Amino acid sequence: MGVKRRLAAFHLEVDPIACDGFGHCHELAPELVALDEWGYPIITPEPIGASDPALTSARYAVRGCPRQALRLERVKDAESRR
Amino acid sequence: MFALTTPYLWYTTRATGMVTLVLFTLVVSLGTLVANRVGGRTIGRFELNELHRSVSLVAMVFLVIHILTTLLDSYVATGWLSPIVPFISPYRRVGVALGAVAFDLILAVWVSSLLKARVKQQSWRFIHWFSWLAFASAIAHAYLTGTDAKRGVGLAVVAACTLVVLLSALWRFFARPARAAGRTALSPLAAAPAGETLPATSTAERDRAARRSVQWRR
Repeated sequence: MGVKRRLAAFHLEVDPIACDGFGHCHELAPELVALDEWGYPIITPEPIGASDPALTSARYAVRGCPRQALRLERVKDAESRR
Repeated sequence: MFALTTPYLWYTTRATGMVTLVLFTLVVSLGTLVANRVGGRTIGRFELNELHRSVSLVAMVFLVIHILTTLLDSYVATGWLSPIVPFISPYRRVGVALGAVAFDLILAVWVSSLLKARVKQQSWRFIHWFSWLAFASAIAHAYLTGTDAKRGVGLAVVAACTLVVLLSALWRFFARPARAAGRTALSPLAAAPAGETLPATSTAERDRAARRSVQWRR
């Protein structure tokens, strides 16, 4: 169980239709989300490891999105950056 | 019916009514700031959003105290269902009814926000629009029912709240922001190295800057 947990990796996904470019995700998780010139998110393609502190930022970003356009997806068979 | 006769309940009702009105004025204005995409440099947009959420919780607490003390108090008889069902209060029927309408709408907005992750975004937004109606109803309730809202400081407070929310509404409806309002600047990423200031000159440069700072933070 514990081993599986440590190997789990996550990825932030944005719903581009729901996103209105508020930019809250970028403020809450700057290490994961950059903004394009119109204020829409560019999310890092790298998966987030379960023990990575960035996972906390990711959760904040999901919770803080005013349009509920972000979600945290589990990545399978990915090399996490721990 | 169960009722208490101490005058302090009545005073608490009046005081918390006033405080609740001020708090909800704050909630509505903060919500307008978030919706109009204020913030980014001196204060984060997410911070305004968090404030909006936290202050609304405080406002709910005061609202509940306001309602409970009214119900417990024997000075005015409103009836146990009067905070929820409009037009059943023997005391100031219309005024209390407006308060009930406001409370019902606020409850809808509050519950839909608590369940935001489970409610469809469209439905949540639709329900959230009703906060304007809730505030209008609450203001009318304050004018019609409020013992202190008729003169002096009380009147000034209610008038100020009305003005602030009216201006917020005008701002919200006439200055609708475009879908995206551009970058925010509060985050360490945006602020990081000098020369990477927000109004970057070209798209390519900005993208490079963004990619660089993402890599740098890793």
